[in-house]
Amino acid sequence: MIRIAVFLFAGVAGALLPALLGSPLLLTLLTQAVINAILATGVGFLVRQNGLVSFGHAGFFGLGAYIVAVSTTNEWMPIGAALLVAILAPTLLALLLGAAMLRLAGVAFSMLTLAVAQAFYELAMRWRSLANGDDGIAAQLPGRILGLDSSLFQQAGSMFVICWIVLMLVLFGLSVLIAIPFGTLTLAIRENEERARFIGYHTILPRAAIYALSAAIAALAGVLFALYNGFVTPNVLYWGLSGEALVMAVVGGTRAVWGPALGALLFFLLKNAAGDLTEHWPAIIGGTLILVTVLLPRGASGTIALLMQRMGVRTA
Amino acid sequence: MLIQILNGLVYGGLLYVLAVGLVLIFGLRRVVNFAHGSLFMVGAYVGYTVTAVAGFWAGLAASVCVLTVIGAALDRFVFRPLQDEDPIVTMLVTFGLLLVLEDAVRTIWGKEFLTVQPPAILSGVVHLSGTSFPVYRLAVIGVAILVAGGLSLWLRFSRVGLYVRASSVDPLTTGMQGVDTDRLSAMVVAIGAGLAGLSGTISAPLVALSPSMGGSILIDSFVVVVTGGLGSFTGAFVAAMIIGQLHNLGVVFVPAAASMIPLVLMVLVLIWRPGGLVKAGA
Repeated sequence: MIRIAVFLFAGVAGALLPALLGSPLLLTLLTQAVINAILATGVGFLVRQNGLVSFGHAGFFGLGAYIVAVSTTNEWMPIGAALLVAILAPTLLALLLGAAMLRLAGVAFSMLTLAVAQAFYELAMRWRSLANGDDGIAAQLPGRILGLDSSLFQQAGSMFVICWIVLMLVLFGLSVLIAIPFGTLTLAIRENEERARFIGYHTILPRAAIYALSAAIAALAGVLFALYNGFVTPNVLYWGLSGEALVMAVVGGTRAVWGPALGALLFFLLKNAAGDLTEHWPAIIGGTLILVTVLLPRGASGTIALLMQRMGVRTA
Repeated sequence: MLIQILNGLVYGGLLYVLAVGLVLIFGLRRVVNFAHGSLFMVGAYVGYTVTAVAGFWAGLAASVCVLTVIGAALDRFVFRPLQDEDPIVTMLVTFGLLLVLEDAVRTIWGKEFLTVQPPAILSGVVHLSGTSFPVYRLAVIGVAILVAGGLSLWLRFSRVGLYVRASSVDPLTTGMQGVDTDRLSAMVVAIGAGLAGLSGTISAPLVALSPSMGGSILIDSFVVVVTGGLGSFTGAFVAAMIIGQLHNLGVVFVPAAASMIPLVLMVLVLIWRPGGLVKAGA
């Protein structure tokens, strides 16, 4: 019950933010931040439940975005079906890939996630007739999407509220998931896969399911991205985006489900503050990543939780 | 057709020289160096600058030397202090290094494409069954064969090579037998980085230099290392040759889907043999 109240409060408070802010520039930035927060939540959840680091979640994000753009442009299916396929297809792909790749050690798995995403990036670059290569492709969105006027998805003010609510629903779902037996089982597998097998559990399928779920969250973020921007370029599949999402998750800390989302907000505030230095942005985030990993392995959320614990406040 | 196969050998050779460095580092430190593609790129740029002043051969030598020093520093200041941490920590740190190095190169050399001329002695073409093929490309294949041969002899017959192979199978036991793994690994990481420099410089006359050139070859070399079997030297050679051919034939015959072919092969190999083609240490 308390959990529902917390998320309801956070959802309403966030949804009121546009009215308070009034600055369209800041609102645009925040909308991007929330879409990235959903992506980072997917990446961070994989670290939390499977102990695996993905360098390729842009693959699922971009695939979701491209399916929306390509299927609406070619009028393959109605928008509702397109959105569903855009989330389910990457999920299924992750489930199949996971079943093959999860037999490997964590390090090899990470290398392969990068390779898989890059293969899709190259595909989007080279398959000009479908994806229009480097120039990208515009989504031809219909007037109404899921009963809402499509302009609501393209304006920062209303899109922020939609994305914020989606983020809250995702975080709520995940916080329920980690509390049920399946969540505990996947943690046990993360800690010691061999022992979990000895007790009698199948270990590949639960791990693949977590991988697929984290891919589904990334694809959801990609779908929101395509609806908001109305335009998709191969950059959404590039490993640079996977890397950024990973940095957000690490900076935010993955022990708490909401850590990566916090990391995404910090990331965008830092990017905004960097201002003229953004030319050297890669070096800044690279340096930040190194410092946080070595000096602050719990990330921002872990540090907050630690401080609250010291002050005698109990956290979930 | 012969030309296509030779071009595949050129790419496979470059991939092998890069990938075997990853295998060497993995064998000693149990970590994957995500900055390896950046070392390849830095090697190409160092080669470019020195070539402009003192000619190609000086550029090649300088690049290998500079990268060897960078490799030793990498081991001393990154891999060694982090050796007791989760491998994920080291992986993230090398990924951070990748971003920093790419930005540094962009700042120093700019983002315009740069080109390097092959040395005069290797600049002609040879005629093979009616078509011509650049001598320089043949020389690249030769370098890859020399590296492969030299490394296998060294690993097979020298004492240090024995230690390296032993450590690839089990670093802990190797250390308990009295091998100074820290010194060994400083040397091996230096060699691995030097090979990345070598491969960067010899690829410079074949491609245009840009700060992002390390990315795609890093990813292909990851596929090579995993398909061949993480920690396996022979496996890396076999996988590099196969993927070099597939990559090249793919670009010629199905350009749109070329990048998918190595990936499909890799997934099939992993389903068939989860440990890769060849066992670690072999």
